[in-house]
Amino acid sequence: MIEARRLTKRYGDLVAVEDVSFSLARGEVVGFLGPNGAGKTTTMRMLTGFLPATDGTALIAGHDIFADPIAARRAIGYLPETPPLYPEMTVQSFLAYVARIKDVPRASRRTAVDRALERTALTDVRRQVIGTLSRGYRQRVGLAQAIVHSPPVLILDEPTAGLDPLQIREIRALLAELTAASQGDTQQTVILSTHILAEVDAICRRVILINQGRKVVDAPLSELTSGGRTLDQIFTEHTARDAVSAAASPSEATDGSEAGIAP
Amino acid sequence: MRHVASVAGRELRSLFVSPVAYGVLSLFSVLAGMFFILDLSWFEQALFQLQQYPDQLAELNLNDLLLHEFYGSISVVLLFLIPGITMGVYAAEKANGTEELLLTSPLTIWEIVLGKFTAGAIFIAAMVGIVGLFASALFIYGDPEVGKTASGLLGLLLTGWTYVAIGGLASAITRSQIVAFLITLVVLVTLLLLPGIAEFGIAGSASGVADTLRYLSVQLHFDPLLNGLVDTADLAYFAVMIGSFLVITKAAVESVRWR
Repeated sequence: MIEARRLTKRYGDLVAVEDVSFSLARGEVVGFLGPNGAGKTTTMRMLTGFLPATDGTALIAGHDIFADPIAARRAIGYLPETPPLYPEMTVQSFLAYVARIKDVPRASRRTAVDRALERTALTDVRRQVIGTLSRGYRQRVGLAQAIVHSPPVLILDEPTAGLDPLQIREIRALLAELTAASQGDTQQTVILSTHILAEVDAICRRVILINQGRKVVDAPLSELTSGGRTLDQIFTEHTARDAVSAAASPSEATDGSEAGIAP
Repeated sequence: MRHVASVAGRELRSLFVSPVAYGVLSLFSVLAGMFFILDLSWFEQALFQLQQYPDQLAELNLNDLLLHEFYGSISVVLLFLIPGITMGVYAAEKANGTEELLLTSPLTIWEIVLGKFTAGAIFIAAMVGIVGLFASALFIYGDPEVGKTASGLLGLLLTGWTYVAIGGLASAITRSQIVAFLITLVVLVTLLLLPGIAEFGIAGSASGVADTLRYLSVQLHFDPLLNGLVDTADLAYFAVMIGSFLVITKAAVESVRWR
């Protein structure tokens, strides 16, 4: 459903993402990991067609995101790092608008909005103006706009960033529920970026780790943790080693675990 | 192109759920009312003074003396209000992060640009409608020429739409609404002053430049409409101005992707 083909993004001499390829089958839920500045957001922005790739391309539900952008974008639900919201609109009218521009047919628009409200537990605040909502609620509206058109592909960029522990739990439960539902009728393919490892443990079955713009790990979670190693150790190993050898990005891996550093 | 209406609808909805639209419309109504009363009393005075000159009195009419002045003042009011209406049209999308939603939705950039312009155009039409109400009050007490009254309103509408297209471009090239407001205001005032600049600044040195400047000024093409002269050349001027600014705006919106 999602196929990244040698995605590369350079800004002049600065390489943000280099030669990243991966392929996600229908219904897969993948955690996209990496320290801050590793290129997670840039990769996701290329997957959604928001940013053009310097090289390479991506296929979304079989459509090339750069050659056939409209069809590809129709298949994507995207939650950017900051949820895209109009503060002056009500939750319901905002979702109705998103359903409209995402090509949900007029006849099923109302049902689509109701369903998104229900799945993100927003039905009670549907008539509230978005600007008056708390951050946690806004994040949920962000999720609701991503799923309102029941896209086969969900791209979520740090859905729990900047939330308090309670809100993180709520969002995580919600994501678990959404992705569990994808096992059933809708079969959504989800790629979720984060640097919170517990989130991956809780939701994802496969992990892609990138560091300094390159893919360094791509394996099922069960396989990675089979030797009794924790995700934490794997993360530290792959990000710390590169940080040392390249001597570039200072102390991105802040977990403080010294156990995983490779010889 | 079916999403033009979706984008325009949201734009108008946002204008009307915030105080902006009501603020601008009421401010506009008050200003229009003041100008109308001033022009009306001025007309009355002229009427009174010319009582002793019957031949000149016969020349006096509502269109040339009253509506001409009134519409002219309104076009200046529009010049100052429109930057406030258009400043957020793209800049706010960038501030809200909704630019990313728009550009990752199955919308073409043209649908976005035309949708936003349509919303502005409808809002201006509402403002010109208010002006039309004032003008139509004259029909109750006098008999102005329908054609001239209407062509003047058309002139206001086209002038307003041109200003909206310019304001949209200013908003598309910056993240800051204040900057968008100021750019629009400066450009519109410059457009207003172009005939003067052509006359005193460059005249004599290169008349080609002066002619071009004069041609670019909105005033030159608005005036014939005020006088009841609907010339295709003037209509074409407005169409070309609006079209060009929309094309540049489209490129500006698109350029976000290529940075």
